[in-house]
Amino acid sequence: MVCGGSCLTCPVAYSALSMVAIGIKRIYRKPMQKKRLVSQLIFLFITNAAFIFGVTGLIYSYFYCWESPQATMSCPIGILEHAVLEASIFLAIYLVGTIAIIGTIFGRAPCGWACPIGFLQDVVGKIKISREIKRSKADERARYLKYAILAAIPFAVHHFATMAYTDICPIGGLTATLPILLFHYGGYTPTEFFLPKMILLALTIFLIVNVKRGWCRYLCPVGAMLAPFNKISVLQLTFDESQCLKCMNCARVCPMKINLPYDVKSMECIRCGMCVDECPTEALKLEFKWR
Amino acid sequence: MKKIVAVAIAFLIFSVGFYHAYELSELLNKSRCPGCIALLPKVSTFKEFWVQYPSFFHKKGSPTLPDWLLNESKQHVVMLFFWYKGCDPCKAQWEDMVKNGIVVGSEENGKMAPNYSKNVSIITIDIVRSELGNLLEIFTPAKAIPSTPTTVILFTTNQTYWYAFSGILDTSMIKKIIREAIEEWYAAARA
Repeated sequence: MVCGGSCLTCPVAYSALSMVAIGIKRIYRKPMQKKRLVSQLIFLFITNAAFIFGVTGLIYSYFYCWESPQATMSCPIGILEHAVLEASIFLAIYLVGTIAIIGTIFGRAPCGWACPIGFLQDVVGKIKISREIKRSKADERARYLKYAILAAIPFAVHHFATMAYTDICPIGGLTATLPILLFHYGGYTPTEFFLPKMILLALTIFLIVNVKRGWCRYLCPVGAMLAPFNKISVLQLTFDESQCLKCMNCARVCPMKINLPYDVKSMECIRCGMCVDECPTEALKLEFKWR
Repeated sequence: MKKIVAVAIAFLIFSVGFYHAYELSELLNKSRCPGCIALLPKVSTFKEFWVQYPSFFHKKGSPTLPDWLLNESKQHVVMLFFWYKGCDPCKAQWEDMVKNGIVVGSEENGKMAPNYSKNVSIITIDIVRSELGNLLEIFTPAKAIPSTPTTVILFTTNQTYWYAFSGILDTSMIKKIIREAIEEWYAAARA
């Protein structure tokens, strides 16, 4: 491809880095957000540390491509597709178990605290071109799209007898196709799926720049897997109405635009804790509740 | 209490899955499929055209060739084809080979075409289902990632030689390599 492979002299790398720095400076100010930044950085490292941990058979509980050059674990959607292709019941059980164990303990927290794509969205979502989308009927309905995508994957895989979602997955394009092309350019030729994949990636980038957490809200099938566990998870957002001043700061800062402070068990909550940081009293809390 | 039960059930499901499917998941993760992310590897080979086994290209800690394969490759030239279900490039390579009269049948139980079956035998290895899947690592150059499809042409005289490539190779080239292997093997057998 066009890249010469040297990041040190690359203007694109520097502009991307400065955008990340601006994003980080703006968003990670409050105490819990600082913790979250550390967590996201640690997970970004663990996700891409095959040179230390080797390639394992564990499954990510967030969205990241296992074809990525240094990926340590397996992509949940990839495992789902293989479970259908190979008709392997144990692979499906393994996937369900992994998602269930993370879901019952942390709910959808991996989206907010671990997912590298979430990290990317946090950072670019704070750049000024981003526009707030208010809660509306259309927005509410569009959120069901991710469940539809998740439900459609097994049927599509079975019908086409191929890795139907991976073929066009924009996150795969961002985290695997592009890095591989950049670092081993000349070693690969694009297939017929390359163009659709890149178009979808461009649309996704457009979406996440313009809508805060747009990928998580409307499209992420892994988020759709974890979402129902929000209702029963041990890690809960709790609301104490007696302390609430009705200032609505929480609703203003929420990146997923859920109906705060009342709908604390919402399936859309990613446990990022921005509302907790913003709350002037201690009405909203993020805590482990075993009961 | 309900939550503890939920976590316990989740843990139970996870343990069952982990026990039965961890190795499969690891195998799937190790054998990368660039074809699945819209990239086809250009044919990557070892630096030498025919690799002597074991050579310095052989990675430390990777499995060794099993005896039965070494014995079989003394009898005739052996062709190995690594693939798995859902790998589009594997399908494309196989169909190309069928069309050009190198092999017949499907990937599961493919055979060499009549022209070749006397001197060459083929072993197709589904890296997911077959226990031989880990052999793929041997035929991958030291810095490359094992990927499918990988086709190997292998024969043993006083030494084992192979030619391995991953990705889609032109069938005329495959024919040329097979011919060369048969000639070498015959020459050694006569001597």
